[in-house]
Amino acid sequence: MRAQFGRLASRVYLLNGKAALTNQLTIRSMAVLIVVAGLCSSRSTRAEFSPANRSHPGVSLAIVVNLANPINNLSSDELRSLFLERKSHWPNGRRIAVAMLDYQYPERRSALRQIYHMDEDAFQEYFIKAIFRGDVFAAPRTLASPEMLRKFVFNAPGAIGYLRSSDLDDTVKVVKIDGRLPDDKNYSLQIDEPAEE
Amino acid sequence: MSRQINHDFRSFARRSLLSPRRAMARGLSRNLAMVLLVMVFSAEAGIGLLVFHDLSRSYSEMQRMYDRSVRGLRQIGEMQYQSQETRRSTLYALTTNDANLQVGYCDMSRAADRGVKKGISEYLAQASAPQELAAGRVLAADWNDYLKVRDDVLGRILEASTKEAVEVDLAYGVPKFEKVSQDLEAVKQLYDRQATQELVTVAKFSQRALIRLIAVLGFCLLFGSLAVLAIQRAQLQSERHIAKLQMDFVAAVSHELRTPVATIFSAAENIRDGLPQQREKFMEQGAVITHYASQLNELVDQVLSFTTTAEGKPWHAVGALAVSEIVETALDNASGLLKEAGIGVEKKIDPGLPMVAGDLGSLSRCLQNLIVNAAKYGGADRWIGLVAEIDDSGVGPQVSIRVEDHGIGICDRELPFVFDPFFRSAQVVDAQIRGTGLGLAIAKRSAEAFGGTLSVESQIGIGSVFTLRLPAFSRAQETNLDAGIPAENLEVRQ
Repeated sequence: MRAQFGRLASRVYLLNGKAALTNQLTIRSMAVLIVVAGLCSSRSTRAEFSPANRSHPGVSLAIVVNLANPINNLSSDELRSLFLERKSHWPNGRRIAVAMLDYQYPERRSALRQIYHMDEDAFQEYFIKAIFRGDVFAAPRTLASPEMLRKFVFNAPGAIGYLRSSDLDDTVKVVKIDGRLPDDKNYSLQIDEPAEE
Repeated sequence: MSRQINHDFRSFARRSLLSPRRAMARGLSRNLAMVLLVMVFSAEAGIGLLVFHDLSRSYSEMQRMYDRSVRGLRQIGEMQYQSQETRRSTLYALTTNDANLQVGYCDMSRAADRGVKKGISEYLAQASAPQELAAGRVLAADWNDYLKVRDDVLGRILEASTKEAVEVDLAYGVPKFEKVSQDLEAVKQLYDRQATQELVTVAKFSQRALIRLIAVLGFCLLFGSLAVLAIQRAQLQSERHIAKLQMDFVAAVSHELRTPVATIFSAAENIRDGLPQQREKFMEQGAVITHYASQLNELVDQVLSFTTTAEGKPWHAVGALAVSEIVETALDNASGLLKEAGIGVEKKIDPGLPMVAGDLGSLSRCLQNLIVNAAKYGGADRWIGLVAEIDDSGVGPQVSIRVEDHGIGICDRELPFVFDPFFRSAQVVDAQIRGTGLGLAIAKRSAEAFGGTLSVESQIGIGSVFTLRLPAFSRAQETNLDAGIPAENLEVRQ
């Protein structure tokens, strides 16, 4: 973990291209380091949890928001924009908080592929850069399990995340994507990756 | 002898205190003591029950108060803790960027929040007083207000808007939570106030029980003292009466002794000085001496008889006696008095009477006492009836000897005491008729010593009938044998 943290930190410095940091850069760099450290720690600690055989090709990936969120329908582009945090606030004024499942979950990889159109490394790089540039207020929050993600969405009015259909309950609100719910035909977000052991 | 007389004084005193006026006084004293004791007991029991009731009530009140207070204070304490926990968990969420930990703190905060809501619901469910209900409702409303802020703060924390979360918490969360704390304090104060009121009630019960306890002790002390006083007074009266009887007896005996002694002394002086010149006068002085010496002898005999008789025990050998012999002996012994008083005796003895058991000296003295009594109190008629006949009223064959007179009679209230030693009726004392009060007592003892009885019937102004009943010899003999009289003491006298 330390080696990984070191590599990421060096990458930050290289991206700036300067050996001596200004105060502003220092603050941004520290913020990025914290985010990266958080991501690394999540990755390492959550790896202990091994969800057995959760992936069934053809299972829908539902997009969920807080019950208080007035949004009911999103287009695929809006969804991507939200997950990339190109928007910082919802129409109701709440800050958007993207919730991602931990690394070993197939839902995450499906989301990266189908929403972000990225792999894990590209995702990491995107947010490191975005945070460093100040385009993004905070990187997506990584939750250890679908249950934790569901609770996160329940507690945060501005949260948005994803869950497989079987993990849904009435504490979260499912948003239509391109006018379709997860159970609808031709729903675009599917978990199509086999399970990891 | 003196011990026997003293004993009889006491037994008579006990009985004579039951004489109408004294009996009433003694009865009152004794009853008063009993009444006082019963009152003390009743009061003790009654007030003891009240004290027990008060104590048990105060105990149950105290137990109820304790349960209620402890439960209430525990409930309030739990609500205070859970409310603090709700806020604490919310603030903990501020200290980390880990979304998983933040969600964990959210869960903790919501769990604590449920605890507070449950406590408020229970409080409202058990609240009965308007103040309690109002306080509970205010608490519920303020708690809900705080929870709205809490939810907002948690949401902002999870959205990574930490600064805004802190601002919202400081602006709204702190005052709202402060209000909740005040509400909880108010509810606690209500409990305290209620507990204080209940404590006052319990204290009142305890105080009342204490006062009653003091009252019962005071009551017992007062009435116990009065009872003891009444008993002591009764005993004092008895002692005084005994002393008076002794004085009366001594005075009577002294008088009975002094009169004949003085007369004998005077007659003896006359003879010594040679005053009776003529033979007739000399003989007259001798007759005076003989008469009064006989009187003295009779008195001494009476006192000795009394002291040597023990109730129910024969003191002479028992033998078969003819009734006529007893009657004649008695009449002979009393002849001097009868002659002097000019009293005629109408005697009727049934022929063929069975022999009776006894000692001639004792039974003749017994009958003689009855005859002397009849002579003394027989009144102006100067008549004594003496009838001896078979009496079938008893269990076995017996003979009754009746001594009747037409004298002053004995009133009903004195009748029960006439056979008591030293008893002399007020009427007799007032009439200054001499006597020691021992004659009838000796007569009764003599009769009873041989298995017989002595009874009296009398009416004021009409006269009296004393009936001496003696069992026939065969039965009497058996009785005496049963009584342990040696066989050699039994003799048959024809």
